[in-house]
Amino acid sequence: MLSEGKSFKLFTRSKFDSSSMVVVWNQDVGRLGSRVADYLAGQLKGRELGEISPEGFFSLSGVTVEEDVAQFPESKFYRCQNENFVIFRSDIPRYNWYGFINLVLDIAEKYFKVKHIYTVGGMVLPSAHTTPRTLMSVVNSTEMMRMLGHYDVVNDMDYETREDQRPTFSSYLLWVAKMRDISGVCLWVPVPFYLMTVEDPQACKKVLEFFNGHLELNINFTDIDKEVAEQNQKIAEARRRSPDLDGYISKLESNLGLTADEGEKLVKGIDELLRDSRRV
Amino acid sequence: MGIKLYKEPKLVKPVLLACWPGIGNIGIMAVDMLRRMVGAEEFGEIESWDFFYPRKVLIRDGELKDLEFPNNKFYFQKTEKKDLIFFIGEEQPSDGGGVYAEGTKAYRMANLVLDVAQKFGCQRVYTSGAAVAPIHHSTRSRVWVVPNNKDLIDEVKGYENTVLMSEVEGRDGQGNITGLNGLLLGVARRRGLEAICVMGEIPIYIHGFPIPYPKGSKAVLEVLSAALAIRIPMDEINALIQQSDSEIESVYERLPSGIKEQLDKLKYVVYTKPSEPEPITEEDKKKILQEIDKFFKKDAGRD
Repeated sequence: MLSEGKSFKLFTRSKFDSSSMVVVWNQDVGRLGSRVADYLAGQLKGRELGEISPEGFFSLSGVTVEEDVAQFPESKFYRCQNENFVIFRSDIPRYNWYGFINLVLDIAEKYFKVKHIYTVGGMVLPSAHTTPRTLMSVVNSTEMMRMLGHYDVVNDMDYETREDQRPTFSSYLLWVAKMRDISGVCLWVPVPFYLMTVEDPQACKKVLEFFNGHLELNINFTDIDKEVAEQNQKIAEARRRSPDLDGYISKLESNLGLTADEGEKLVKGIDELLRDSRRV
Repeated sequence: MGIKLYKEPKLVKPVLLACWPGIGNIGIMAVDMLRRMVGAEEFGEIESWDFFYPRKVLIRDGELKDLEFPNNKFYFQKTEKKDLIFFIGEEQPSDGGGVYAEGTKAYRMANLVLDVAQKFGCQRVYTSGAAVAPIHHSTRSRVWVVPNNKDLIDEVKGYENTVLMSEVEGRDGQGNITGLNGLLLGVARRRGLEAICVMGEIPIYIHGFPIPYPKGSKAVLEVLSAALAIRIPMDEINALIQQSDSEIESVYERLPSGIKEQLDKLKYVVYTKPSEPEPITEEDKKKILQEIDKFFKKDAGRD
């Protein structure tokens, strides 16, 4: 019997009749998941509902440092004001994955009456940032397939994990949800490989547009539109300054491949450009 | 098992300085010296028996009288500018029995320390450890600083003689702080508390020896005393440095000349991003570090 204690804590007792839950992982390509969660929580006045304790799921032997700041694993539920809509934002656990997923779903079902789950993730592609983003989906039920039928979502993906890779944690969650008869979908947006280590606001906007229509959230897109425009402008200026950078991106725009060396130079150039401007 | 407080001092937004032993005992020497110098008074402890294996037994006339465990004590002092809480742990709790904190016990210990600090209104935490760096023992140690919140970066950049992770070549702002001196930063972050870890540099060829490195501790002490606006007499730590320097020198002099030659080159290595031209070329520097790394078969890290 699930009850609050060592493994999780609820901050408030919100009443839900039925809700949808968006799941994002902090370790995501182009920071897509965390950006989507931040934007949704900011727009919809999200407040913390509860959290899962890191004990048993994460290494507790110290802290990692990223961009000069000590990090610590977090796994938190948020509720958006006036909406039957929950966000679960978490680091991907290091141990006991199955136990972690079941705990997330136990809490989601028992306390938030979650009926539908949406995971968000970025997919690295050798494409240019000027290519329009598409939204791809992998569902775990015909019900969800039917629900997504009205939307501009690619839903006929065929894929098998390669031998040197392993399934994503979102896929694992979706599979466990399926066993528990919870409908869910993994939403994937291609992220140009050279934005992988920075941010891709266009991909973020694509996901937000989907949630806005599907869950009728009334999102204001002004801020994300501004971010998209600023990033495009910065890259455009960098292209004007650097013929090499411009050449690499032009090749991608023409669906031509880059050599490993060209790809590395492009990643480095964009990383320096966007990271430095973020630090200012 | 838990917290035992002997008294409840009235403190105003106290700053917590917490420390456990680590490489070169750099952090704990600095924090404990600061504690003694401000005359902090003991006011509580975390009971040890569920965290540690006993370190001493007392038997008298065939009867077991007592078991002694590592201490985990709280101290406080009200200074002119700030109220302070000190936590000094004599050992790091570890589920695996290792030297550095790990697992549930470490996490519980970190939470208990912060429970006490928050009970008295603490909003800021400092921890301290060592930064293993490719430096020579004759050079002044600097202090690597890692905050748990990006809003603190400007503040820590203002501390004298400090280095951010992003200023360390090849790190790109990333790294790890193992043990409780790091873990406490994370647990504080989880609770919304500001925390900063200050790590004094220790030469890469000394960090593996079980000896203290007071030069690193002095660097930490300087940063802490500036951050807390406390004047600290440096006579005691200077005397320890003098003694340690002469001990290190006597070992150093006995090293085979080939090794000594390699280590001497560290006097000229600047491993942080240079603000002025370096005295040796990048290629030389790379070669020196590779050779030294090969010699010690260890990478630079921190505790």
